[in-house]
Amino acid sequence: MSDTPPAFPPSSPRHWWSNPIFRRYARSRLRPQALMAGLLVVGIIAAFIYFGVRTGFRYQAHMVEADAERAVLVPLLIFQAIILFLAGTGQVAAGITAEADEGTLDYQRLSPMTPLAKVLGYVTGLPVREWCLFGITLPFTGWALWKGEVEAASWVPVYAALLSSAVLYHLTGLVAGTVVKNRRWAFLVSIGVIFLLYTVIPQAAKFGLVYFKYLTLWPVVDENIAGMMPREAGGLIRLAKSLEPDVRFFGLHFSEIAFTLFTQIFLSLTFGMMLWRRWRRAESHLLGKAWALGIFAWMQLMLLGNALPLIAPGLLFPSRQFNRRFFREENWQPQVSEAVVMIGVYGAVTLLLMVVLTLIITPGTEQQITGLQRGRKLGWKRLPPLSDPASSLWIVVLMAVAGAAGWTVFSTQLLGSEWFAGHQLVPYASGAFLLVLLGGGLICQGVLEAWGGQRFFLVCVFGAVLPVMVGGIVASVGDRSLTAATWLAGVLPVASPVYAAVVLVPTVDVPRDVVRALPRAFWFWQVVTALATGWVVWRLREIRQARRALVYKEDGRS
Amino acid sequence: MDWDCQFRGACFDGSDMSAVLHPVSPAIQIQDLRVDYGKFVAVDDLTISVPAGEIFGLVGPNGAGKTSTFKVLATLMEPTYGEVRLAGIEIFEQPEAARRVMAYMPDLAPVPSDLKVWEFLDCFAEAHELGNAAQRRERIEECLDLVSLADKNNVFCKTLSRGQTQRLVLAKTLLHRPKVLILDEPASGMDPMSRRQLRLALRNLAADGATVIVSSHILSELSEMCTSICVMNRGKLLAAGSVEEVRRVLGRTERILTLGVVERVDEAVGWLQGREHVAEVRLAGERIAFSFAGSARDQAQLVSDLVQEAFLIHALEEQRSTFEEILLDVSGSNAAAAPNLPLS
Ligand SMILES: Nc1ncnc2c1ncn2[C@@H]1O[C@H](COP(=O)(O)OP(=O)(O)OP(=O)(O)O)[C@@H](O)[C@H]1O
Ligand SMILES: [Mg+2]
Repeated sequence: MSDTPPAFPPSSPRHWWSNPIFRRYARSRLRPQALMAGLLVVGIIAAFIYFGVRTGFRYQAHMVEADAERAVLVPLLIFQAIILFLAGTGQVAAGITAEADEGTLDYQRLSPMTPLAKVLGYVTGLPVREWCLFGITLPFTGWALWKGEVEAASWVPVYAALLSSAVLYHLTGLVAGTVVKNRRWAFLVSIGVIFLLYTVIPQAAKFGLVYFKYLTLWPVVDENIAGMMPREAGGLIRLAKSLEPDVRFFGLHFSEIAFTLFTQIFLSLTFGMMLWRRWRRAESHLLGKAWALGIFAWMQLMLLGNALPLIAPGLLFPSRQFNRRFFREENWQPQVSEAVVMIGVYGAVTLLLMVVLTLIITPGTEQQITGLQRGRKLGWKRLPPLSDPASSLWIVVLMAVAGAAGWTVFSTQLLGSEWFAGHQLVPYASGAFLLVLLGGGLICQGVLEAWGGQRFFLVCVFGAVLPVMVGGIVASVGDRSLTAATWLAGVLPVASPVYAAVVLVPTVDVPRDVVRALPRAFWFWQVVTALATGWVVWRLREIRQARRALVYKEDGRS
Repeated sequence: MDWDCQFRGACFDGSDMSAVLHPVSPAIQIQDLRVDYGKFVAVDDLTISVPAGEIFGLVGPNGAGKTSTFKVLATLMEPTYGEVRLAGIEIFEQPEAARRVMAYMPDLAPVPSDLKVWEFLDCFAEAHELGNAAQRRERIEECLDLVSLADKNNVFCKTLSRGQTQRLVLAKTLLHRPKVLILDEPASGMDPMSRRQLRLALRNLAADGATVIVSSHILSELSEMCTSICVMNRGKLLAAGSVEEVRRVLGRTERILTLGVVERVDEAVGWLQGREHVAEVRLAGERIAFSFAGSARDQAQLVSDLVQEAFLIHALEEQRSTFEEILLDVSGSNAAAAPNLPLS
């Protein structure tokens, strides 16, 4: 120990496989015994799928060999997706929380790697076993692709999207594991997100929110599956597919794979940046205020960009897809009620997005006081408005404005299309939209900043969950109680966009009781919300001033 | 008091703590450090600087703010404000550079449950770029030897005992030959042998020019190990300097002396009761115990006088009031004075 430390040779530039965090997990998660067991199980299942399906199609359905080989591809793809998406993501989320739990995460914080290297180390290292298990299924896929004479133009996009989705979901797991402190919850939340993505989001996509479906594998699989199916079935799909060609973004056209990669890489970068911020400073918000605002505006742009071009050809309407699949009526025409629902859903999703971002950027009491202390020491007059401890009030107002603008554009374009000649949005709609978003957003923001997350949770339960449940029960009692149910559910912030849509688009065919009750309920609750918002904003102002006084009082003390 | 006048020259003056402890280019420099947890002030405008090569002890009761201070030093936590330099590096501006020269051992140091001992160490050896695989292995073995864990090289970390775990984490801390070591209660859970090793290891490191800042609850041990210490309570620095200086600043110089005389015991008791600086004379078994508040010179004089009086002394032992007692006093009195209550 006493001699001078020998100089170590200058290290070569780091490759990702020599990332210490990656190697650490490559060691612990690829121990021969566990790995062999896993490989054996997955290999057997893959073999079972391959031989089972192939033999079935070859000898029961009497397909030619190439077609039988092709039939194997989709089942294998599903199996691979389960390994990578579900097992991999859950593993990432649980693994990172486990490190935080044990306390060993702090050691990694201390190791002299860049935040980016740490993010990369975790996102490649934690799911390394799942990648190996995925690898063992590849020979089957490769063989089937070769024997089935599948063109590269078909399978390359699908597998590119599979990989990019896997990375995106693993990053989601990493973010979930960073935010959620409990191991089991982190696992459930991240798996839940993937599950929602593949069940609920496609439904939302049917109601005009096309953008979200590019977070999944569906569009690319849809586009390319024809080439990967037995030729007969593939032909049918190809025909159906040719009716809905490529992705539209305002006036532009993209292939599904290009737009999927674009969307997923953007989101991956966003998640990567969240993690980078956390690794750089454990106390940071996941997103800075400016970034949150930017991402909100960007999402509006994306939602509109994907949705608007689909209005004129009628592709945006759920009933058209329904019609095409089941009724095949010649002169199909979208209903006004359909447009109303779509407008409502658009508003609800915008509001939810706003609430999520508000949750991310709003400082807690402690954080704000600490920020004020620092400001006092450094002689600031006020906190820099975009810093984490600063109030998020104005950002929420700006988001509400941007959201109302997007919502108005969507509604105007939808109702202004030739499908709905004669229908119009009431002229004060944009104001009402703004009111709805401001009310919901500012109450969330105010409660969070003034009283913290627990109170916010309570407000959510009493303001949002209970009324819906009670409303549901009341509504199920009978027709006459529908009025009461309408009134009750109107309290719900997420319901108000739908109410707004119904109120602001005249001449809609909903039950008579509802029609009568709904506008009154809507405006009544809007007034109540506005009053509540005013009160919350005023209280928040007082509380902020009290915090300031508390901190600056110390000047007198010392 | 008498000693006060005599030692004023070297006396540690609480109003200017920096003067004594701050020669040129300190290895650890903490300036106006403050850590808040909401309305609670955990560390309040702390200023410390530690010269290179020192082993600096941070002493304080539970909740004094030691761990909070260490976490800031280790770049794990951002303080409310304050400046920290480690080996000349501003740690908030260049956290990665700071992490290269510094090592931190948390209290109740955890180890990963899914790694073997050498894998755990190798992960950080790689992160610190300690050469190729062979060089890293060599270094790892060196460090494991240092904490007597060489035989545990290939077992899973989770199978180690508490003390062994603590030693393993110490080995990890030493791995990259840090210039500044930040050890939060490193000795907790270690047996006497390991503590001795720890002490020796730290001395060796300090001799090589490393600087160590260490906190502990076993305070007598800190006073053996450290070249200087500081006492913290409720986030504030109460005193800093050498062990003697701190003792003096905190006004705890009286100690218990026990005297063994062969004959004339009662007479000796009587004689002592009349002496200056002497109080509470009593018989404790065979011996006479009394508290003495004079300086070392006074004590020498006392012994010489005893001999002159022809008492047959066969033993004289000194029991200083331990640091534990001092701290008990300090935390007790401070709790009453409450100089640093949360700002509610
Ligand atoms: N995360 C936290 N949130 C709120 N308060 C905290 C937090 N961490 C520490 N504290 C408070 O800050 C004070 C200082 O804590 P710290 O852990 O620094 O003390 P310590 O000197 O290390 O104590 P010990 O000797 O028990 O380890 C304590 O009163 C503690 O309650
Ligand atoms: Mg502590």
